[in-house]
Amino acid sequence: MSGRGTKSFLLSGARELLFSGARPLFAIALALLTSAGMILATDANPITAYAALLQGAVGNFVSIANTCVRATPLLLGGIGVALGLKAGLLNVGVEGQIYAGAAAATAVGLIALPVPPCVHLFLAVLAGFLGGLLWAVIPGYLRAYRGISEIVVTLMLNYVGFYFISWLVEYPGILAEKGAVFPQSPPILESAQLPVLIRGTSLHAGIILGVILALFFHLLLRYSPFGFRTRMVGENPEAARYAGVNVTRQILMVILLFGGMGGLAGTGEVLGLKLRLFDAFSGGVGYEAIAVALLANGKPLGVILSAFFFGALKAGANKMQIVTGIETSMALVVLALAVLFVIAIGFGERRLISRRRKRGKDQAAKETQAYGN
Amino acid sequence: MGQGEEIALRMVRMTKQFPGVLANDNITLELRAGEVLGLLGENGAGKTTLMNILYGLHQPDAGEIYVNGKKAEITSPRVALDLGIGMVHQQFMLVGNLTALENVILGIPPRHPPLLELDSNRARFKKLAKEYQILIDPSTPVWQLSVGDKQWLEILKQIFRDVNILVLDEPTAVLAPSQVQQLFKKIRQLTEEGGAVIFISHKLDEVLEVTDQITVLRDGHVIGTISTHEATPPKLAQMMVGRPVSSKRKPRPASETTKEVLVVEGLCCDDDRGIPALKNLSLTVHTGEIVGVAGVGGNGQKELAESIAGLRQTTKGTIRINGELLTGVIRDPSLLGYIPEERNRTGLVDSFGVEENLILKTFDTPSFTHRGILKWGAIRQAADNLIEAYDIKTPHSTIPVRHLSGGNQQRVVIARELNAGPALLVSSQPTRGLDLGAVEAVHNMLLQERSRGAAVLFISAELAEVMALSDRIVVMFKGEIMGELDAETADVSLIGELMLGHREVFAVGGGTS
Amino acid sequence: MEISLGFISDWLAATVRCGAPLMLVGVGGVYVERTGVFNIGMEGMMLAGSLAAIAGSFFTGSTFVATICAMAAGGLLAVGHAYLTVTRRANQIISGLAINFLALGATNMLFARLFPTVKARVCLYPVLAPAWLHDIPFLGPAIFSQSVIVWIAFILPVPAAWVLYRTSWGLNIRAVGDHPHAVATAGPSVLRLKYIGVILSGLCAGLGGSALVLSELGYFAPNITAGRGFIVLAALVVGKWNPIWVAVACLLFGGADALQLRVQTFGSVIPYQFPVMFPYLLTIAALAGFVGRTVGPKTVGQPYDPEGL
Repeated sequence: MSGRGTKSFLLSGARELLFSGARPLFAIALALLTSAGMILATDANPITAYAALLQGAVGNFVSIANTCVRATPLLLGGIGVALGLKAGLLNVGVEGQIYAGAAAATAVGLIALPVPPCVHLFLAVLAGFLGGLLWAVIPGYLRAYRGISEIVVTLMLNYVGFYFISWLVEYPGILAEKGAVFPQSPPILESAQLPVLIRGTSLHAGIILGVILALFFHLLLRYSPFGFRTRMVGENPEAARYAGVNVTRQILMVILLFGGMGGLAGTGEVLGLKLRLFDAFSGGVGYEAIAVALLANGKPLGVILSAFFFGALKAGANKMQIVTGIETSMALVVLALAVLFVIAIGFGERRLISRRRKRGKDQAAKETQAYGN
Repeated sequence: MGQGEEIALRMVRMTKQFPGVLANDNITLELRAGEVLGLLGENGAGKTTLMNILYGLHQPDAGEIYVNGKKAEITSPRVALDLGIGMVHQQFMLVGNLTALENVILGIPPRHPPLLELDSNRARFKKLAKEYQILIDPSTPVWQLSVGDKQWLEILKQIFRDVNILVLDEPTAVLAPSQVQQLFKKIRQLTEEGGAVIFISHKLDEVLEVTDQITVLRDGHVIGTISTHEATPPKLAQMMVGRPVSSKRKPRPASETTKEVLVVEGLCCDDDRGIPALKNLSLTVHTGEIVGVAGVGGNGQKELAESIAGLRQTTKGTIRINGELLTGVIRDPSLLGYIPEERNRTGLVDSFGVEENLILKTFDTPSFTHRGILKWGAIRQAADNLIEAYDIKTPHSTIPVRHLSGGNQQRVVIARELNAGPALLVSSQPTRGLDLGAVEAVHNMLLQERSRGAAVLFISAELAEVMALSDRIVVMFKGEIMGELDAETADVSLIGELMLGHREVFAVGGGTS
Repeated sequence: MEISLGFISDWLAATVRCGAPLMLVGVGGVYVERTGVFNIGMEGMMLAGSLAAIAGSFFTGSTFVATICAMAAGGLLAVGHAYLTVTRRANQIISGLAINFLALGATNMLFARLFPTVKARVCLYPVLAPAWLHDIPFLGPAIFSQSVIVWIAFILPVPAAWVLYRTSWGLNIRAVGDHPHAVATAGPSVLRLKYIGVILSGLCAGLGGSALVLSELGYFAPNITAGRGFIVLAALVVGKWNPIWVAVACLLFGGADALQLRVQTFGSVIPYQFPVMFPYLLTIAALAGFVGRTVGPKTVGQPYDPEGL
C-alpha cells in the first residue's frame, strides 16, 4: 500500500466514523437530555450530576482505568455482535458465550502447565475463544443449515450457560473451590493471568486485546475476501449466491466467530479482572454488548467508541451516586434511552435500503421505467 | 354475454406517481354491468397499480372513481369491499395455517359479533362451491391445497362476499389449460348474474377469448380501448409493445458458427411454486450466433436462464457448456456471462459501490487479491477502466449502485459479465426499463459479442428486438420450444402464432438445432 | 434420598405458585407473537409490573389498585414497544432489550427511593377458599390455598383460547402474523391488530409481575423477575402458540423452577442446575424439530410494510 493509499485509508475511515456517528451521537444527546430531566425531577442538579459522572469516568488515572476495565467485555462482545450484524445475523447469545468462554479459560488457567507464562496465557485465551465458539455451534448449524432463527436458540443457551457455570463452580463441581463460602473456582494461576497495565489499578491487557481485535475485524471486513463475502451475504444473500458465495458456510463461519468473541469477553473478565470464575459473574454484560454494537451501527471501529461510552457511564455512575445520591442504575437508564432513541430515529441509510428492497420485485422493473432515465 | 347498459365503474383521469416512476398517467376506464373488460399490457404497464388504487391499497394523486354512478373515495380495502369491489391478486392472499373456510370468512364482519358462526358459513361455502363447481372441502388447511385449488379458493372468497365488480389479476398464471376453461365458465356465470369483471392479463389469447372489451395500457397510459370482436393478436401486440413489430434487422457481418457452445438436452425444472416450468427443453447455441428466445413473459424463460447459470436445480436433462457438464453455479467469467432478469435483486448489491459490484464474482482472483488481502488500488484501477470502456455514468467508483439510473446499473452488470470475454452470454430481458439510448447501447453490445465469437442466448419478451438482433429465433410457450426459425426469413405472424402455443402451424416439434 | 408424599405435595403447590405468573404472561405472549411481533421486552414489562404492584398495594392498601397499576406499567412500556416496532418498523429484538434495560434501571432507582427500608408491608392477594379446604391432601396446598390471582392465571387461558379460535377478531389475530397482506386485503387494519397484540402482552406481563410479588412473596427486590419473561418465550415455542398448551408449558417450567429449590435442599445426586436447564433445552429441541412440527407465525420479527404488496 503506497503512502497515498494509507492516507486515504485513514481519511475514509475518519469520514466513515463521522457520518455513521452523527445519528447515534444525536440519540445519545437526546438520552442525556431526557435523563437530565429525570435528575431534575429528583431534586438534584443535572450539571453537578454529569460533572460527577465525568469525573468518575475520566477524572484521573484510576477513573480512566475503571472505565477501560468496564468497557473491555463490552468491546470484545460488541465486536462479535457487529460482525454478525454485517452478515445480517443477530447474536443475542453473548451472555452464554461469555460463560462458556470463561469456563474454558478457567479450566486451562487452573492447570499448572510446564510452559512459560506467556504461552500459558495464550493457551488460556485460546481456550476461552474456543469455548465461546463451541457454544455457538448449535445455533450456527441450525441457522446456516436449517434456517432456524439464531435469536431464540442463542437466547436459550444463555440460560443453559449460566446454569452450567453454576454447576461447575459449586462444590463438588469440576472447577469448584473446596470450602469456599460462595460458589467459585480456585484462583487463576498467575502464569495465566492477563498482565495489569497500570500498577495499582485493575486495568488489564484485555482492553488492548479488544482494540487490536476491533482493528483486525475492521480490516478483515474491508480488506479480505472473507469480509467481502460476509458483507455480500448480509446485504443481499441472493446476489451473493449468484456471485458464487457459499452462503450456508459463510453464515456458519460468522456465527462461530462471534461466538468466539463472546467467549473472549468472558475470558477477559476471568483472566484479567476477577481472577477466578465466580457464579453469575456476568450480570447482563452480554446483553449490554448488543446495545453497544447497535449504537456503533455494526462498525467494529465504532464499537470501540460506544464501548468506552458505556464503560464511562458505568464507571462514573459510582461517583455520581456519591456526590448527588443518584443511584448507579441511572447509567442503565441512560443506556436504554440512548438505544431507544437510536432505533426510533433510525440510521437513515439502512431504512432506505430496506424500503427499496421491500418495493423489490415488480417495482424494481417499474422504478427503472423513469422517463429520461 | 351480457352487455348491460348501466356503467358499473368509471375510473377517470387516474394518475399515480411513485418515486421516479409515473405508474398511471391520466387513465380513464369504463366498465359496464354484465361485461368482462380485459386490461392488457406488458409487465410494468401500470395495470396492477391501477387496480390497487381501485381496491384502496394505494391512493391516487389525481382522478376520480365512480361506482354505479356515485363518486367514491376508496381509502382502504374495507371501503372497496363495502362498495362491492373484490380483487384476486397476483400473489396468493391465503393464510396457510388456516382452513379454507377460515380464509374465506377472514375479515367479513360477523352478523352476530363476536362469534365466528362457522356452521352457517360452512353451509354457505358448500352451497356456493357446488354452484360454481369448486370442489374444496372447507375444513382443509390451505397449505395442503394444490396451487390450482388455491386459485379457486381465492375466487370463491370473492363470490362469498357477493361482489359486483371483480378484478382478476393474472388469474390463469397457475392454471392448466382445462382449468383455464373452467375459469372462463365461472366468469361467464358471474357476468350472467349481473356482475362485472376486470380481467388483467398479458396473455393475448385468453383476453381474446373471455372478454367483451379490451383496454390496452402501455407505460402507464391508455393506448386504446377496442371491442373484442374487432381485436386481433397482431393489432393487440402492437398496441402493447408500441413499436411496429417490424423486422428491421441490424446489419451484421457473417460469422463462423460451427462450434457448439451451449447444448441443452431434455431439460426439466420447476419454478418457485413447484410447478414444472421447463418441459423437456432442448437448445443449442454456437459461437458467433445470437439465438433469440421469443415468447410472452412467464413461459419459463426466467427458469431457463437460471438453470443455465447454475442457479436453479433441474429435475431432468443436461446442460453442457463447451462440452463440460454443468454442476453448479458457474464462477468462471471466461465461461459464462449472465445478465439476469431482475438485476437489482440478483445481479447487484444495492448498497455496494460501483467498483465492488464490478468485482462481485472476481474479488478473490489473483488480480484483486494478493496473499489474502484485497487490493483496492488494483480494483479501483480496473473499475475505472471498465467505467470508461462501458460508458458507465457515475461521479465516482465508490458511489453505491442504487444511486445510479437503471441504464447505468445495467451497464455495470454488463461490464462485469462481459469483461472476461465469456464463451457464452446469457442475457435475460436486458433492456427492460431502459430508455431508447440505453436500449441501443445494449443491442450494439450484443452484436459486438457475437462478432467476438461469443455464443449469445438472448431472452426477451419484446418481439421486435428479438427479431432485429437474432440469427435464429426459438419461441417458448409454457416451458417448451414451439418452433425454431431462421431470423432472416421469419414471418411475424408465424412467430405470433407460436407464441400463442399453436404449434400445428409449424412442422418442427421440439426444436433441436 | 426419599421422595415422600409430603415432598410431592409440597412441590406441586410450589409448581402452581411458580407457574402462575408465567401463565399470565404467556397469554399475552401468545397474542403478540400471533400478530407477528416478537416481544423480548416482556421481562422488563413484568418487572415494571412487579414494582408497580408493590407500590400500589403499599400506598393504597388495595390489591385491586395494585393490579391496575401493574397492568398499566406493563402496558405503558408496551405502547413504546408497539410504536417503535410497528409504526417505526425498528428492530424488534433491540427494542425489547432496550425496554428490559430501561425497566431494570428504572425499577432499581424507583425502588431505592420509594422503599428505602428493605421490606415493606403490603397487602397480598386474598386466598378465597375457606380454611377447611386447605387441608385436603395434594389438592389443598396445590389449589385451595392459593391466592385468587393464581386462580385467575389458571382460568385466563381458557377465554383467551376461546377468543382466539371462536371469534372473528381472533381469526384476524391468527391470520395477521402469518400473512399480514392477506388480512389487509380482506379488510381489517393490520397495524391496529399488531398494536393491540403488543399492548395486550404488556398488560399480561404486568399482571404476571403483580402475581409474582403479591401472591405470596410480599416484597420487591432488584431484578426480582430474574429472567421469567424470557422463559415465557420458550413456553410459546413448546406450547406451539396455543393458549392452553402454552399454559401447560408454563406450568411445566414452573415445576422445574420449583424443583430446583427443593433439590438443592436435600442434596440429591442430580445437581439442581439440570432440571432448571430443562425448559431451555426443550425449547431448542422443539425449534430443531425434535418435538413435532414447530412452525410459529411466519412473519414474527419482520416489520410490516403496508406498501410491500
